[in-house]
Amino acid sequence: MTAIGAKPAAGAAMDIPSTIAGIILLLVIVGATYFLVGAGMMFYALIGVIVGGLLIAFGVHFVPVGGAPAAMGQAPGIATGVAMLAAGAGLAGLFGGAWAAEQGLVVAVITGAVGGGLMMAITCMFVTFIYVFGMGIPCASGKVAKDPITGDTQTEYKSQGTEGHGLPFVSYVGGVIGGLLGGGGGTLIYIMLLDVYKEALPGMMKALPAQVLPIAVSLAGIFAVGMFLVNAVLTAYNITGTIEGPHDPKFKRFPRALVASAVASALCGMVAILIVAM
Amino acid sequence: MTVKVEVVEGGIPHNTIMAAGLVASVIFIYLTYANVLTGTQLFSFFGGLAAVAAITWGSHTIKHLCSYGIGTGVPSAGMMAFGSGVIAMLFATKFGVASPIVAVVLAAIIGAVLGFLSNNVLNMRIPVMIQSLTEMAIIGALVLMGFAAMISGSFEFNPLTAGSVTILGLSLPSYQASFIGSSLIAVAFMLGGIAVQHPFNACLGPNWTQDRMLTLAQECGFLSMITAAVMSMVFLSFSAALVSVIVALVGWYYTYTKYIELSKRDAAAWLDAKPIPELEGH
Repeated sequence: MTAIGAKPAAGAAMDIPSTIAGIILLLVIVGATYFLVGAGMMFYALIGVIVGGLLIAFGVHFVPVGGAPAAMGQAPGIATGVAMLAAGAGLAGLFGGAWAAEQGLVVAVITGAVGGGLMMAITCMFVTFIYVFGMGIPCASGKVAKDPITGDTQTEYKSQGTEGHGLPFVSYVGGVIGGLLGGGGGTLIYIMLLDVYKEALPGMMKALPAQVLPIAVSLAGIFAVGMFLVNAVLTAYNITGTIEGPHDPKFKRFPRALVASAVASALCGMVAILIVAM
Repeated sequence: MTVKVEVVEGGIPHNTIMAAGLVASVIFIYLTYANVLTGTQLFSFFGGLAAVAAITWGSHTIKHLCSYGIGTGVPSAGMMAFGSGVIAMLFATKFGVASPIVAVVLAAIIGAVLGFLSNNVLNMRIPVMIQSLTEMAIIGALVLMGFAAMISGSFEFNPLTAGSVTILGLSLPSYQASFIGSSLIAVAFMLGGIAVQHPFNACLGPNWTQDRMLTLAQECGFLSMITAAVMSMVFLSFSAALVSVIVALVGWYYTYTKYIELSKRDAAAWLDAKPIPELEGH
């Protein structure tokens, strides 16, 4: 096998023993947190963090990540990597949600989701402008014969020797759904950690709640950013870099990413909560 | 099934760089503790040197990992390093003088779990995955702790969260005027994250040479250190911040001229580049 033929390694199959080991690890972490902090607000915050991580991991699967081949017009999707796209859409959502943090969990999470979805919608629109009017390529998927939403045929528009190009309609919709889920998940992690820190920091630092609010916001923010990036990159490893959207066969790999992201979020969330609980 | 598409030929072996980076970084972070022992802030610049040492090690770890073609782009490795490193670093600051050691151990645990998840649960099957992600998490934690020690003069939780503002000659305690309270940690996160992923991203390819990439890593580290030194003027005395700025500028100038030299050396060399090169970086 030459170096040129060496594709990224991940096979499509699930490794059952490792998955079971991962689930056991998840239960051990959740159990250890329950043992250390009891069934209070902090334990529910950990559950919220895990749910947020799952939303991010599931959401990234919808985003049409094209990478370098898309930049050369040889594959469909947005022409950059997962780390950049996730940081753009997810953090835009997180900042949006953080503005609404005072208005309660539901409003804040929905605001975060709308922020992430809006960011992806704008990104996808300008990407399509540049593909169509700048590079002069039509939008065509290489993975399906017909667009699952509009029913338009794709093969006539696909150039020889490429895997499709541009941003088909279904990828656009996938991008917006991914932004919604990612922004909502990131905001959920932020709100959960912010509540824990607002509750615990005044006692720990012996100061008034208003005085330590900047510390609580900053800690919750940087932890949310860190967990967002960890979940996004784990998902990027799962899809080996590029995906066309929800119609791509690689989308079916998402159960693996959910297990990995639950374990990673639980571990990071436990450490983030123990910083004030210990 | 993975094929390693690029091999390290000659140069310093990875394990030597790893050991040197880890030891140098931890020792430099501990040298900032001389601030507490001597009662000055002049030793803060050692934090920046710790970050440079860890970034140099990190660029080689990224090369080690990304030469297997992980398919997600080089920047994702830097983001992963700091995403997991920041969590370990912030928790470790609670342990006082033992913070750097706790940061290394905790980051190693988090990194090993993430490596297991990527390699086994996500079925990546890359031989160096677990080791590399463990190293990356430690690097992220050490770089952040180095910058924290450099900007605020300490690596412990209380000095990092409590600062003071002077109003009309009165010094008042303020949590907002601190490394974490003012969210300077987010700036340090990006300064380190970009510095650690850029060198391999810029130097990869058939004419990759180890000394050129490591010099670029040091240059990126010192460039981030200049920014961190400017930010440290808020928290440290003027003389201490000035020492940091001078050290960073001198280090940056030296590594930058050396990098340009090495680039000219490599650019002038004739390469037997076939139409489709067999040795392809990723």
